[in-house]
Amino acid sequence: MKTSRGAAILAIITAALLILPLVVHDTFVLRVLTEGIMWIGLAIAFDVIAGYTGYLNFGHGAFFGIGAYTIGILMMQAHLPFWVALPLGGVAAALTALIAGIPTLRLKGAYFAIATWALSRAIQQLALNVEFTGGPDGMRLEAFLNPLFFYYLMLITVGAIFLVLWYLLERAPFGLKLKAIREDEEGAKALGLNPTMLKMQSFILSAIPTGILGGIYAYWITFIDPSSTLGDLVSDQAVVMVVFGGMGTLFGPALGAILIFAFKTIFWAYLSDFQLLYLIILGALIAISVIFIPNGLWGTLVKRKAVARPQEKPEPASEPAALSAVAVPEEGN
Amino acid sequence: MTEPILKVNSVTKCFGGLTAVDDVSFSVEKGEIVGLIGPNGAGKTTLFNVISGYYAPTKGSVVFQGNDISGKPPYHLAGVGIGRTFQVVKPFAGLTVLENVTIASFLKHPKKADAERHAWQVLETTGLADRAHLSAAGLTLAGRKRLEISKALALDPSFLLLDEVVAGLNPTEADRTVELIMKLKAQGLTILIVEHIMRVIMNISDRLVVLNFGKKIAEGTPAEVSSDPHVVQAYFGEEAA
Amino acid sequence: MMELLPQALTDGILLGGIYITIAIAFSLTYGVMHVIDFAVGEWIMFGAFTGYYLNKWTGLDPFIFLPVIFVIYFGVGYLVQPVIHRVLSGTKGNPFLMGLVFTFGLAIMFRGLALTAFGFYSNSIPSAFSEGSFNLDSIGLTVTIPTVRLMGLAYAVAITLILHYLLKKTNFGLGVRALAQHKDAAGLMGVNAKRTGSYVYGIYVGISAMTGVLLGCILSIGAQMGNEYTIFAFFVVVLAGMGYLAGVPWAALLLGLVQSIFMIYFNPSHTLLAVFVILYIILLISPRGLFGKGV
Repeated sequence: MKTSRGAAILAIITAALLILPLVVHDTFVLRVLTEGIMWIGLAIAFDVIAGYTGYLNFGHGAFFGIGAYTIGILMMQAHLPFWVALPLGGVAAALTALIAGIPTLRLKGAYFAIATWALSRAIQQLALNVEFTGGPDGMRLEAFLNPLFFYYLMLITVGAIFLVLWYLLERAPFGLKLKAIREDEEGAKALGLNPTMLKMQSFILSAIPTGILGGIYAYWITFIDPSSTLGDLVSDQAVVMVVFGGMGTLFGPALGAILIFAFKTIFWAYLSDFQLLYLIILGALIAISVIFIPNGLWGTLVKRKAVARPQEKPEPASEPAALSAVAVPEEGN
Repeated sequence: MTEPILKVNSVTKCFGGLTAVDDVSFSVEKGEIVGLIGPNGAGKTTLFNVISGYYAPTKGSVVFQGNDISGKPPYHLAGVGIGRTFQVVKPFAGLTVLENVTIASFLKHPKKADAERHAWQVLETTGLADRAHLSAAGLTLAGRKRLEISKALALDPSFLLLDEVVAGLNPTEADRTVELIMKLKAQGLTILIVEHIMRVIMNISDRLVVLNFGKKIAEGTPAEVSSDPHVVQAYFGEEAA
Repeated sequence: MMELLPQALTDGILLGGIYITIAIAFSLTYGVMHVIDFAVGEWIMFGAFTGYYLNKWTGLDPFIFLPVIFVIYFGVGYLVQPVIHRVLSGTKGNPFLMGLVFTFGLAIMFRGLALTAFGFYSNSIPSAFSEGSFNLDSIGLTVTIPTVRLMGLAYAVAITLILHYLLKKTNFGLGVRALAQHKDAAGLMGVNAKRTGSYVYGIYVGISAMTGVLLGCILSIGAQMGNEYTIFAFFVVVLAGMGYLAGVPWAALLLGLVQSIFMIYFNPSHTLLAVFVILYIILLISPRGLFGKGV
């Protein structure tokens, strides 16, 4: 995609989103848009570690929940103002990524996928079983009912996340280095890259915005409990959005987030009795995407160069032949 | 006499009960091309992996420019000036040729624009510039071997480890690669090369080190080595008999 | 509280024995297919419900159904595996990642299907062995062993021995071991990776489903039970060292002990937390498992 054209399109979308609330006054629409924008942020943050680095975090929701709970606890129990608590939500998520990453990012991707999945469950259990989170009853935050404020806060935050990630991943060397890790970790080492360090940076970069978005969500919705913020749905939806949209890009996950979230909104509006069906569709969509559009919707629509990876051709058998034919040193004799 | 750029001191590398490299010592002087030869399974690639930091030696040490580098990770060694290629080529398949080389250029050129400019220069040298925007996966075997060299060169190394960069190429391609290696030598690079194709290795090497079953059995100029009875025995005994 | 310890240890060993069966099959699948199956708990759950309904409809003892359930789920696994194989041998994107994502998607789908079909209730499967128990008072220990748990252990030993025989004494086992060690070399030796993979996956799904029935008799069944067992399976293979079969029994027994000790001495709902803490510590200090033999 031509950068200038892409930038123009993005500018138009952003401008439209900025003036939209002046035209639309429906609270429901505003609410849906706010959440949709949040999902774009969550999906692109997930893709930093999954798509760019090639390490699947099946517990992305844990960062979201940790952000939400950090803000909740800091505001309600430590009585910190929102603006002080919010960055600390990102810090808490980053620390969690650090703690989870140290033992697992040295290892193969399978360990990482397992460990992150198990971690998110462990954190759910923790939130259910300790006092200061309110356990299964959850936690109510001081209500600040201003839909417009949250709409703009979410828009600006996600916009900032997008710009920062776009710069780091698509413009700065960092993104290319991550892709090198994704493609061949051993080979990358020979080129001076420290894979463990890069993976850790990537994991933390993925965690921070997720924690911040969780914090905004908590303040916005004013009520958090383990099933809404730490439940599997956050992780599962992030996976669907990114796999269906297209891994390893910023636009793919954004597209996936928009489509899946639109689908979810319509589905839950008309078929709210069939929420389990939504789960089935999510799972099926992941499986189907993997089989039929492994590059995701974005990767399939925007046929970027030749990204198809041909089967390894067997090395020509000339090697042993060459050896036996010329193995006798000619010149010395 | 100047200090050799690389000194391999009694390096031994065992895997479980198997000794892949057994008490091997040799050194490489600045500016020369040293060929490492030996029958299949002689331990050449293992030795390469020890020198380039992929394996820590079980015993012995590797000294590069006066510093002990044994057991240092590969990314550290890339930083001090050791570039290597892989026998089983390792392109970043999902990326373009230019991106592949740019990643290596980051080592000395942290800014992306500088790194890309540098990568272009390397691709000009190695003759891949016309394929810079192709996917690395789409290259032929010859192209991928060239890409391996390009990536190692983009590190601006002072010492280059080449692992079978000629084997598997047709004669024309092989000649071009040999030409490139000679050009690099002329620019002052020191090169340690593993190669199966004797015609090549005999022509380009200043000295040869011969391994068999993990042990060094001979060392010297190509002429000396090829008349060494141990070497003839190793090749005829193992391969041609 | 000390007088409960023999009971806790006995329960733990009996439960751990059952986990061995799941974990061996799971580990074997990873060794051959090089993909982690996130749906492992879901296969257990499906098996448990199949046993539950067969028992309800026919009134026969669930133990009688075990072979039937194995055959059904062997078939299911045999049919599902080619799809996974196709994903793993894909030429676009990163096949390994795609394989993980695929089984992850399957697990979500299965969970959704089960919740739709069976609801959120939990049940247990009645068996003729559910009532009786052995008492070890006569030898001076205050230990009660429910008959059904003893049957569970007998089942586990039988399955483990059969698998051991299959792996070590048959040509099929040789092919499986060759594949687990070196995929390409095995191909050269004439091992059909695709077909062998289908058999292994079928066996794994079949065993997981059978074990689900036993767990349903001993503990309970519910549409959400899968998650817990998926974590347990991960716990065992990571502790054993990924792909290292000989470590599996010890790790499984340890899991059984942790679970039973938490049930008796602590809050049972902290079991998962304890499991996770142990997993974390092992990954931190010995990432290749308790024995350092994983890949």
